[in-house]
Amino acid sequence: MMRAFLTLVLAGVLAMPAQAELLIRITEGADNALPVAVVPFGESGGISGDEDIAQIVRDDLAMSGEFAPLATDKMLSLPSKGDDVYYRDWRLLGQKYLLVGQLSPANGGKDVKAQFELFDVNQEKRILGATATVSAKNLRTLGHHISDRVYEAITGTKGIFSTRIAYITLDMEDGKRIYRLNVSDVDGKRSQVRLKTDEPILSPAWAPDGKRLAYVSFETGRPAIYIHELSTGKRNKIAQFPGLNSAPAFSPDGKSLLLTLSRDGNAEIYKMDIASRKLTRMTDHWAIDTEPSWAPDGESFVFTSDRSGGPQVYRMDANGGDLKRLTFGSRYNARPRYSADGKNIFYVHQRDSAFHIARMNVDSGDESILTRTQLDESPSVAPNGRLLIYATQQGSNSVLAVVSADGGSTYTLPSRFGDVREPAWSPFVN
Amino acid sequence: MTDNIRESNSNEVRPPWRKPVVLSALLHAAIFFFALVGWSWSNPTHEPPPRSISARLIMPEKTQPEPAVKPKPEPEKAQPEKKPDEEKQKELERQEQERKAAEAEQKREEERKKALVREKEKKAEAEAKAKEAAKIKAEAEAAAAAKRKAEKEKAAAEEKRKAEERRKAEEQRKAEEKRKAEEKRQAEEKRKQEEAERKRKEQEEAKRREQERKKREEQLAALASQSKQDQALADQRRAEQAAASKARDARMQSESEKYEGLIRDKVGANWFIPSSAQPGLVATLEITLLPTGELVSVKVTTSSGNSAFDNSALSAVRGISRFPVPDDADVFNRYFRTFSLQFDPKTLK
Amino acid sequence: MTRTFPKLIALMFALGVMAGCSSTGETQEEGAYGSDVSAVDQEGGSEVYGGDGSSGVSSSDMTAEERAQESAQAEAAAMRKITTFYFDFDTSEIKSESRDVLVAHAKFLSENPNRSIRLEGHGDERGTKEYNLALGERRAKAVERFLIVNGASRDQIETISYGEEKPAVMGQGESVWAQNRRVELIYQ
Repeated sequence: MMRAFLTLVLAGVLAMPAQAELLIRITEGADNALPVAVVPFGESGGISGDEDIAQIVRDDLAMSGEFAPLATDKMLSLPSKGDDVYYRDWRLLGQKYLLVGQLSPANGGKDVKAQFELFDVNQEKRILGATATVSAKNLRTLGHHISDRVYEAITGTKGIFSTRIAYITLDMEDGKRIYRLNVSDVDGKRSQVRLKTDEPILSPAWAPDGKRLAYVSFETGRPAIYIHELSTGKRNKIAQFPGLNSAPAFSPDGKSLLLTLSRDGNAEIYKMDIASRKLTRMTDHWAIDTEPSWAPDGESFVFTSDRSGGPQVYRMDANGGDLKRLTFGSRYNARPRYSADGKNIFYVHQRDSAFHIARMNVDSGDESILTRTQLDESPSVAPNGRLLIYATQQGSNSVLAVVSADGGSTYTLPSRFGDVREPAWSPFVN
Repeated sequence: MTDNIRESNSNEVRPPWRKPVVLSALLHAAIFFFALVGWSWSNPTHEPPPRSISARLIMPEKTQPEPAVKPKPEPEKAQPEKKPDEEKQKELERQEQERKAAEAEQKREEERKKALVREKEKKAEAEAKAKEAAKIKAEAEAAAAAKRKAEKEKAAAEEKRKAEERRKAEEQRKAEEKRKAEEKRQAEEKRKQEEAERKRKEQEEAKRREQERKKREEQLAALASQSKQDQALADQRRAEQAAASKARDARMQSESEKYEGLIRDKVGANWFIPSSAQPGLVATLEITLLPTGELVSVKVTTSSGNSAFDNSALSAVRGISRFPVPDDADVFNRYFRTFSLQFDPKTLK
Repeated sequence: MTRTFPKLIALMFALGVMAGCSSTGETQEEGAYGSDVSAVDQEGGSEVYGGDGSSGVSSSDMTAEERAQESAQAEAAAMRKITTFYFDFDTSEIKSESRDVLVAHAKFLSENPNRSIRLEGHGDERGTKEYNLALGERRAKAVERFLIVNGASRDQIETISYGEEKPAVMGQGESVWAQNRRVELIYQ
């Protein structure tokens, strides 16, 4: 993007001549990702498991788009503890931060303990030193945990590497279309199938506690909305009305859902109290109203409506009032999702014959296109607001891609599956 | 335009409160200088020959000065600040007058003494002559016993001679008295003459002083106008200096701006804005450099309140092994020895 | 140009499908119910349909009428084999070429009240899934309304939308998308 293009300001131009001191204002930083070296972790004693912790951390940091991890073969030394660190080595390699660590068995070999230290190479200062213990079977959990700690120490932003992604896959098996609901790590690894059916599964949505998923399944031949408790696998069918049962969205307090039903004629948005199943109709229009998404403060929601002739994004107060159209940029703007801070919405935007993910500042109306691929769909924002996951077309398959919320970098998640769609980023999980 | 210019000006011009003092001191120095020059320059033409110096040395100051010599009160000077000089000068003048008066007195005294001596000598001479005459008379009377007749004649002659002698003596005495009177008159005359001369001199002196005073006043006026001119000149010089300093500042500033840009680019390229940066987060760091561009110290002067943000700024600065700085020592010292970096992201990711 | 091109393809595709199923496909431009009859009429007995059903019915006429009826029934049965109806992007407007076929279905349903159908609405893969679900439903409902207007009963019809989940043709490009924006009519 734009290279450092900065403004000079002399302090107190008119006042305090005696105090006059040159002041240089830096308004733009480096465009490239932050060089960080993650040294392979040392091991003492026998560590079972073949996960490369350092590589997990490197991949995580790279996925954020904010870091450029150094390849191991470029390293001049491989320290595993602070005493062995020679800053000069890393300075020579242009590295700004350095992570070293070592693993040792704990709890009779059942667990693994990691000691790790993060250094600011320029300042020659240790900025993080910690230990973490995890079951030997969950070394990837340990890797993501370390990534979160490193990310937060450097950026001041909470890391999302321990959060998860829910998504739908579609495969042809024995001439049948097989749908699966999956939940995986943010890097696409350790995916687990939560539901499998030869009828469509749609619209996975996380509850704010990160423990439940709502989704639409056609498994009975007709669409129904289910709430699925992940730890137990227990499911509740909460809506199966005539016509549409679609687009569930948990309220920020987790007590209610917005959903789309056509039981009264055409697609309208309703609010359902989960405990009582009581429905409140939110919209009333002959046009399609669907794809609701709560604002993080729960005071309003956004949705798609074609009441203007084509799909556009609207906002409505939580009590159903104060309807306002938000998008005007093209004839197709749909499926809005609020950013974590509630300041922006992300949505699908048609430009010419392509569909991209766009971002709009809700207050200013400023719009920017974040993705450059074709047929981009289903944006979902990471809980720290820094990243966006969405589905896009790659060849004849749909794949998941991660883009930084400012559109800076794109990262395609590796997937074993042929067709991956409708990603939903989980909240922070403890 | 900038403080630097102001700063440079303030370096050249003393703080305003010092100006009147300096001006006054300058004025005094100038007055004193002119007074002294005027004095030593006008003295030789009006003053008596240097022997007066020895006279002053011989005659103690105590010698009663004649009233006329007493310095008349000088006309009030226009500027009270000049008093010390005036008094000094008055004192000098008074001393001079005293010296002159003493000289005249001494002269008169000498004259008087001389006259006295001469009178005494004449008196003694007259007494001796009278004694001689009495002796001669007694001898003649004794011889008269014998030679009465002849002697009568002789006596008559003698008488005649005596009378003649008496007359002569009388005449002589008279002449002497006359001479004395004459001398006295002459002395008086001389005294009068001297007095007149003295008065004339005094008048001349007064006149001269008046002239001097006038001259000094003129000089003061000239000095005042000179000082005005000087002021104008100084103003002009200052304006010229300001212009020159402005030009120099402009030169230094353009040089400074060049390096500001280089530093900005270098720091910016090294600065990795953390993702937690929010609009309005600003951190200010104070940097101290060696003339080689190497970092001496960096400290956070205004924290953003976000430690990751502050840290990113510190790291950016510490990551630069050598800052681009100008070779010109003046420019370096003025702008780059110590300066501030403000980290204020305009576009946030 | 770019806007009309996809429509043109859709039109040609629709023509191809209908030409394969009906000899009267060419007449679709007239867009009227009577056009079918005129097509039948070419094989004789046009007057039968011209009148409002005369009171004096000759045997020969009956024979002709029966023939015509048989022929019309055969024609209608052939038309009812058409069970897929296509739509333009982001619309639920029934195309003119679909009307005759839908009328045949409606007539059949009204004549066979024990039969029921299921209407499945679909969209192409472009746009958002949930909006396409709603759009698919709107298409299915548009077809349902047309059938009811033309004699079918509401009780005979069930609608469902699959949105873009069940494309008829895999792949991309307007010709593929045009085949996927559809309502399928399925006899239960």
